[in-house]
Amino acid sequence: MALTIASLKMYFRNWQGVFWSLFFPAVIMVIFGFINFGGFNAPDVGVVDMSKSTSSTRLMTLLGGSGSDEALNITIGNEEDLSEKLDDGDLDAIFIIPEAFAAESSRSLISVRADARKLEEKAVALAVLNVALNRLFLEIGDVPAEFVLANRFGIEESSVEVDEEEFSDFLVPGIAAMAIMQAGIFGVVFSLVRFRAQGVLRRLFATPIGANHFLVGQVITRLTISLVQAYILLIAGALILDVSVGGSVAAWLSLTVMALLGGALFISLGLAISGLAKTEDTAAPLSNIIALPMMFMSGIFFPVDVLPSAMQNVVQFLPLTYLADGMREAALDGSSLLELGPELLGLGIWTIVIFAVATRVFKWE
Amino acid sequence: MSSKSVADSDVIQVEKLVKRYDELVAVNGISFEVHRGEIFGILGPNGAGKTTTVEILEGMREADSGLALVDGIDVKSDPRAVKSIIGVQLQSVQFFDQLKLHELVSLFGSLYSRKVDAQELLARVDLTEKQDALYKTLSGGQKQRLSVAVALVNDPVVLFLDEPTTGLDPQARRHMWELISSIRDSGATIVLTTHYMEEAEELCDRVAIMDAGKIVRLGSPLELVEELLATGFSKDREVRPADLEDVFIHHTGHALRESS
Repeated sequence: MALTIASLKMYFRNWQGVFWSLFFPAVIMVIFGFINFGGFNAPDVGVVDMSKSTSSTRLMTLLGGSGSDEALNITIGNEEDLSEKLDDGDLDAIFIIPEAFAAESSRSLISVRADARKLEEKAVALAVLNVALNRLFLEIGDVPAEFVLANRFGIEESSVEVDEEEFSDFLVPGIAAMAIMQAGIFGVVFSLVRFRAQGVLRRLFATPIGANHFLVGQVITRLTISLVQAYILLIAGALILDVSVGGSVAAWLSLTVMALLGGALFISLGLAISGLAKTEDTAAPLSNIIALPMMFMSGIFFPVDVLPSAMQNVVQFLPLTYLADGMREAALDGSSLLELGPELLGLGIWTIVIFAVATRVFKWE
Repeated sequence: MSSKSVADSDVIQVEKLVKRYDELVAVNGISFEVHRGEIFGILGPNGAGKTTTVEILEGMREADSGLALVDGIDVKSDPRAVKSIIGVQLQSVQFFDQLKLHELVSLFGSLYSRKVDAQELLARVDLTEKQDALYKTLSGGQKQRLSVAVALVNDPVVLFLDEPTTGLDPQARRHMWELISSIRDSGATIVLTTHYMEEAEELCDRVAIMDAGKIVRLGSPLELVEELLATGFSKDREVRPADLEDVFIHHTGHALRESS
């Protein structure tokens, strides 16, 4: 353990290294955090059908549009479920069709509740609803001449203040995961390759300590570093980008366990890479070949579900995907360790496999 | 020069040791013993197999065949047991450059599960005033002395020094010689490799001269010189009582030049 303490001292004396290991992820976080990458998609609208009449069914068909170029993504459900989804930010608006919808000689009021932040989506949803009501009005056709649309159908709008889950909410836990990966892989690879080139490892090999002892010491040292780093980034994200991180003790416990397990995984990966890389010159490209694809595909900057489904099948098993998903769930939804079972299992298996590889390929000189 | 009493037992025994690297036979069936308490020199030109031999004894390389015992322990079957009782100074090795000297010494002590008095060890190699300096700020001679201090953390039975004075100026070299003698006087056996003959003559009780993986001669420096003279050998040049190195030391003094 003396080796661990010594390594920590060395790490923090190299203050430039400490700075860069935080600077890079922080810059990415801020840049991407202020650009809204969410973009515009067809609004997600929940419909509560209380009337269950032919007219209301027809209206829903009209709202959904035809085929692939749907104007709205419609989800049908009961008011309670859909309201919850609206609160979580999964829906942009809810339409509630009243019981006596389109009953003769009465005015039916459809109430629309929209996410207060999503003005564009709300405008589109209302426009589509107006068009649909207009067509329904014409189709019903039984209306007396003096009746105009406004007398038959009305729209009652209201806004809902929703828990913010914006792009920066998505981004910050992912960036923390990415930083853990970067610190693990690059931090370990560069220091180990340098130690080997300087002969420091050869000198350690002349002492009675075993390779496993040394490798475990490295993992413990760097875990401390990656945990501190993850906390700093999450807290900075909460303060600068106003991301609601954690909130509960259970959430922070999950985040801590995730950061530790993910840290152990990527530190082991760094150890494995530094064993496989023959020289200092091959270490950097090898690290990049492994780290960069994960950085862009594992749902750090955009959700995995925008990828083609064939790719998603592979990407979901990447170590960084498990870590980013787990940290995001823990940070934003406050998921407990039990709820993060799949992610923990995925990270655990990867860690064991990669550490085993690292011990086999490790070279003192 | 210190006394040359014959040790009563052998701390190192080597029999028919062979090490090949692909085509090259680096060590070709050598046998020798090192007596307890002596300074044993392994001499030879570059590529003679000195370092390979020493690394096999240190448990850092495995011999292809033959036997090597250090203090009765078979190096091949238990390299870690050997490593724990020997001290090692390697060629062209750096230490963690972000650590202070006393931290480095304590760290290496802990690798042998020992609590060491870093100050005392650093004082022994004349680095007391540098104990709070970072390793990277040391001069070449100071780095060499630190590596000797680190090699002493486990109070070794045998101390291996691989070319301990290569690259040092004459003052630093003499300083290292004094250090090596004092370590031997405190009871350790020392195995050192060198290609400086005056160093071997100054320090070693016995030397083995290696060439192309074999030991071509083994004995005390005096014996080997006598043996050569007995064949009727004489130098082409008249030997004067002083040489250029004496001139250099005379005019520049013995004091160490390390103000870094």
